[in-house]
Amino acid sequence: MLEQSIRAETKLVIAVTILFFLLLLASCSSRDRVEGFIHFRLNYNPSTLDPAYIVDVTGGNIAAKLFNGLVRLDEHLAVVSDIAESWEISPDGTIYTFRIKSDVKFTNNRKVIASDFKYSFERILDPRGKSPNTWVFEKVVGAKAYMRGAATEVSGIVVRDPHTLQIILEMPFSPFLNLLSMTAAYVVPKEEVERWGDDFSTHPVGTGPFVLREWRHNNRLLLGKNDHYFAGEARVEGICYRVIPEDLTAVTEFELGNLDVISLPASELRRFKFSNKWKDLIASREGLNSYYLGFNCFRPPFNDPLARKAISQAIDRRKILETYYEKRGGLAHGPVPETLRSWPPPEPPRYDPETANELIRRSGLQGRTIQFYITADQEVADIAEIIQSYLKIAGLSVAIKQLEWSSYKAALNKGEADMFWISWWADYPDPENFLFPLFHSSNHGPSGNRTWYTNKTVDELIEKGQRLTIRSARSSYYGNAEQIIVNDVPSVFFWHKADITLRQPTVRNYEIYPIYSVDKGLEVSF
Amino acid sequence: MIPLLVGITTITFSLTKALPGDPVYSIVGERSSPEIIEKIRKEIGADKGVVRQYAGYVTLLVQGELGRSYFTGRRVIDDIGVKLPNTMRLACASMIIAAPLGILFGFLSAKKRGKFTDRVITLLSISGISVPVFWSGLVLMLFFSLRLRLLPPSGTGGMQYLFLPAITLSLPAIATLVRVTRVMVIDIMDMPFIRTARAKGIPEAGVSMVHILKNALIPVITVIGLEFASYLNGAVLTETIFGWDGIGRYAMEGIIKRDYPVIMGCLLVGTLVFVFINLIVDVIYHYVDPRVRVHGTDR
Repeated sequence: MLEQSIRAETKLVIAVTILFFLLLLASCSSRDRVEGFIHFRLNYNPSTLDPAYIVDVTGGNIAAKLFNGLVRLDEHLAVVSDIAESWEISPDGTIYTFRIKSDVKFTNNRKVIASDFKYSFERILDPRGKSPNTWVFEKVVGAKAYMRGAATEVSGIVVRDPHTLQIILEMPFSPFLNLLSMTAAYVVPKEEVERWGDDFSTHPVGTGPFVLREWRHNNRLLLGKNDHYFAGEARVEGICYRVIPEDLTAVTEFELGNLDVISLPASELRRFKFSNKWKDLIASREGLNSYYLGFNCFRPPFNDPLARKAISQAIDRRKILETYYEKRGGLAHGPVPETLRSWPPPEPPRYDPETANELIRRSGLQGRTIQFYITADQEVADIAEIIQSYLKIAGLSVAIKQLEWSSYKAALNKGEADMFWISWWADYPDPENFLFPLFHSSNHGPSGNRTWYTNKTVDELIEKGQRLTIRSARSSYYGNAEQIIVNDVPSVFFWHKADITLRQPTVRNYEIYPIYSVDKGLEVSF
Repeated sequence: MIPLLVGITTITFSLTKALPGDPVYSIVGERSSPEIIEKIRKEIGADKGVVRQYAGYVTLLVQGELGRSYFTGRRVIDDIGVKLPNTMRLACASMIIAAPLGILFGFLSAKKRGKFTDRVITLLSISGISVPVFWSGLVLMLFFSLRLRLLPPSGTGGMQYLFLPAITLSLPAIATLVRVTRVMVIDIMDMPFIRTARAKGIPEAGVSMVHILKNALIPVITVIGLEFASYLNGAVLTETIFGWDGIGRYAMEGIIKRDYPVIMGCLLVGTLVFVFINLIVDVIYHYVDPRVRVHGTDR
């Protein structure tokens, strides 16, 4: 009797529990949207939204919607006015005078004046601060003294009147206006920075077309429209960034309509490309980047240009790009992306296994084990194995050493690797940004030149280009420098990766821009 | 407790410092001069000797602080205060699913030993232990979110966000509990006191619930405690797949970036959670097993 009653009770409990869960499930929905907002995915939570500290593309992309600088880049990558309504450059190219618009307000309703820019730029260089972006302003007169603590202000940033700002450079530097379009050059209000201190990052106040409405870290970030934006009004109510680390989860969210635009993961490209529903909604554009196989030119075996040339001729880059990489980028002729090159492309050494074998014999590479350093990324590991197999055919032994990012960078900066796989993404759209940091001998190690490449002629050509304001003349210097670099083979330049996105049919006017700071989020709509 | 805390802080600090890599290279980005690198190293105290760094860390702890993240600048204690409750919700939800189901099926499997039901449950439980959560999680997501359109695939929030990660996380726990319960119940079913209980005329339900299950529960409670504590220390894969803002993802990101204050904060809180859960398990033993009360763990 007791047993029967226990059984009956158990059944009842199970039935009620199942019913409860079914009802709960029925009340749920897979729909997860903020009405009127456009929804994007972030792979990871941005570390900071304080322009002084942003070093990543994700942070820069969001900051572009919250802040403005003196100038900005348009969709053709030309420098155009932003908060500065006009500017003049002195004939010797060292004095930049900006006239600041009078109707621009921070979102705390205070008008922007010239001293706000002086404050914002000096904040980057502050000797007590820890901004990693000091290099953006280090060519300004007095910047180095200020950074050392030997001066109370940067003498080269002069407020002439509330609407006139003058920046004086130590020497002419042709990409300077490009630098001013970067995140680090955005204007911030002093009173808000002082009010929030270290937490300004989570309470950013700028002048941009959007304001930060909510930031649930590792979950979502909401930007609401700034109705008083000085350069027009966004066509959407706001932007919702969802932090979704896993690619397949993001694709599922997209298919459910919870995301409007996603960057298409390589593993899903084929499926969407052959789908009648989606194939026309895929867009692609080559980015301002360069993926390359770098050599340590400072020590044996790759201090010998013959050895570097041998490796470059032993690998069929085009085939790797067309097969494994599924043409997700353009074949590189050199370090400078095609979009920025205004001179004939250099001709890198061709794939030629026989010549490669001959060079390997002559350079004494045979019998050595090459230490090949890569990051802990599956795609990179796949590419490394393909390179390893090409070099094995050429009779070389390659030991792949996979390290996570921070250890990898530490090893590269110390020059531990013989050979490594890395990419470089533009800070600003100028060929100089692919030549000076990567190949100038003053930038060995953490400053960008991780191949430790040194060539005095290249140094001189880059420096001459930096000082000229006439674009065509600069091109000839940069073109020559690039050709010498390609001939010296400090790196094998593989490709310039394309950004591939997929959008919902309801999304209009969505554009892929080659650099993050162009997109202010004003055009996109439903 | 004090020696334990000293031990924990020393070990966590030493382990963190033993990690290869340098957080400064992640902070500065791709382009920075050696001077800036040195300046930032000084700013975060990485230029000091290990003993001075440890002293600084302990001073912070005494003040009830865990420091600020090198990257976000946010207080680690505030971040943990947000993420730990999320992980706790996930851990509790998966245990609420796993504990009754694991014990129920384990008991059923033991009672039907050698029969069809036992074989099916054994097969399923072995699958549950063997299948990795990143696979079961994605399958559940594709079915419940994409096909049935019932549940959101990712996010942190209310009940509807909790279902999929909780079920995913509970699957290996159910399987483990089934195995442990089955073995224990089979062991106890053959004991003389069970025969005595039956001989005394106690109904089968009473024998099962009071005599067999209660005695079998002791190792099961240990397993539940350990599983629960390990969930509270972060179910990294589950949290990553479902975009759940928990302590596991937070710690993992800290480890990848070498964000030492975050790593040490998570390790410290995680260890304390482990100690606390073990304490609770010991207290539960006290009530479940009368022998613990009198003779400690002697049998």
